[in-house]
Amino acid sequence: MTVTSTTAEVTTAGPAPGTDPVRRSRVDLLPYLLVAPVMIFIACLALVPAVFTIVQSFYKVDALDPPTRFDGLGNFVRLAKDHAVIGSLGNTALYVVIGVTLSTLIGIAAAVVLQRPFRGRSLVIAILILPWAMPGVVEGILWTGIFDPNAGLINSVLSSLHLSDGNAVLLGQNRLLTIALIELVQVWQIAPLSVLLILAVLQLIPSELYEAAQIDGCSAWGAFRRITLPLARPGIAVTMVQAVIATLNVFDQPYVLNGAANTGASVTMQTYFISFQDLDFGKGYALSLLITIVTLLVSLVVVRLVYRRVEL
Amino acid sequence: MTKRRTGLRGLGVALLLIWSLGPVYWAIKTSLQTETDARARPAHYLPTNATLQNYSTLLSGDSDIPAQVRRSAVNIVVECGAATIVTVVLATLAAYAFARMRFRGRNVLFYAVLATMAFPAYTTLIPLYRIMSTFGLVNTYTGIVLVYVSGFLPLATWILHNYFASLPDGIEEAGLVDGARRLQVLWHLLLPLARPGIISTALITFLFAWGQFLFPLVLSSDLSTQPLTVVIAALQGRHVVPSTLLNAAGVLAIVVPAVLALAFNRYIVNGLLAGSTK
Repeated sequence: MTVTSTTAEVTTAGPAPGTDPVRRSRVDLLPYLLVAPVMIFIACLALVPAVFTIVQSFYKVDALDPPTRFDGLGNFVRLAKDHAVIGSLGNTALYVVIGVTLSTLIGIAAAVVLQRPFRGRSLVIAILILPWAMPGVVEGILWTGIFDPNAGLINSVLSSLHLSDGNAVLLGQNRLLTIALIELVQVWQIAPLSVLLILAVLQLIPSELYEAAQIDGCSAWGAFRRITLPLARPGIAVTMVQAVIATLNVFDQPYVLNGAANTGASVTMQTYFISFQDLDFGKGYALSLLITIVTLLVSLVVVRLVYRRVEL
Repeated sequence: MTKRRTGLRGLGVALLLIWSLGPVYWAIKTSLQTETDARARPAHYLPTNATLQNYSTLLSGDSDIPAQVRRSAVNIVVECGAATIVTVVLATLAAYAFARMRFRGRNVLFYAVLATMAFPAYTTLIPLYRIMSTFGLVNTYTGIVLVYVSGFLPLATWILHNYFASLPDGIEEAGLVDGARRLQVLWHLLLPLARPGIISTALITFLFAWGQFLFPLVLSSDLSTQPLTVVIAALQGRHVVPSTLLNAAGVLAIVVPAVLALAFNRYIVNGLLAGSTK
């Protein structure tokens, strides 16, 4: 029997599945045909590129300096000597710490607020996920209007309260302030997912636990610390991993809010500049390999630290 | 005690709403003002002398910027629409096989799909650009759609797998006993049952595609394929563009995702939860 006729034959031979051991032993092609397109896509456009990144980070791949040639650790050495790259590592570490902390805290707080059903809760949740659904670039534009040194909301409020003359330049001068404000915009985007993930776990906590705690004289804060927080850990772990991946790879918000200024450039921005402005692809490969490894390692550590302790 | 708790919750909900809507409100307000009013000190907290001038400029103006915004709006709809359709169709077929058929190598293949989700998307940015440029697909709809599809397939397959796996056993057997072919069983019996999952996956894929910026920034070099996000970011970099017009363009770019998120939030929430937890 030829390969092409097999599927047609099998599909018409359906009536009594499992009764015919001879038919069963023949390879059934249908499942392979169904998964083939996805596998081909992933092989060609995810696995092959990933291998490319790993291999070519050890090559000199430079559009301005051909040909492509083996270069050992050359790219990594050049990265280590690049002040902009080193600076962006520090910036990105700040993005991660601020972003993961803030989005997790907001996630927990908002999830507790929404834990019990009330009228209009689903509408509140719908509005809550709005920032998640919007493009990061446009969110940068929205927040530019808030941070603007002339007509921005923050400056306007500050001057109305006579706290400043209302011309404070918020972005691009002080490094920590710049990064904190840019990360606030990213938190605005990623926190909704944190809320949803933690809320989903909180919904699984039986209300009897809280009733029992109340009868035992446990305060609301005590119930939060002894019941909510421990049982929410799986959700918090997933939330933190999502936040780690998002913040380690932050690009849209600093790119729009701060441009090419080094004050807040992230590692991903440096990868973009190195690869697509300097056209030094090899160095870009090496940097994106490093981000990938760090992302995987940090995610793993977070899962181990936060997730494991749930089982106790 | 309960009164105090309700009060606290009310405060929390109010803060959440201000946090989520404040920046959107500020952009809408700015987009409805004239440039002079928007620059007024102290700022107007309400849109005084509200005007739709910026929107009519963008939607029907002849000059450079409105034309760019309109063209890139067409591009983003085409790219997101095509990527969503291809992703959902392919992911549905694969998810059906992974969730409801037994075959040699199934687990290995499925884990390979899931493993790609652990990698940050930008790992493949440079190689994808170089592959696309080798095949002459830079600055084409095809190139952008291929990259989007490859990026979104793993999550889409995972979400749909979970939906198919949650359907009761025995549906296929019942259908096959009735003499239907296996693909007919998928089409007539399983797809209708998995419809919420398919809608969720389509919405999430579309929203992800709509938010893309760095990939199209690299993969499209001019207005023939640049999506709205890329054009808006470019406008923001030019200081001659009035902030009111820029905000109007921004509001136009968030209308579609905002309407989808509000109208179908239940599907989106369920899909996200199915995609993020195990």
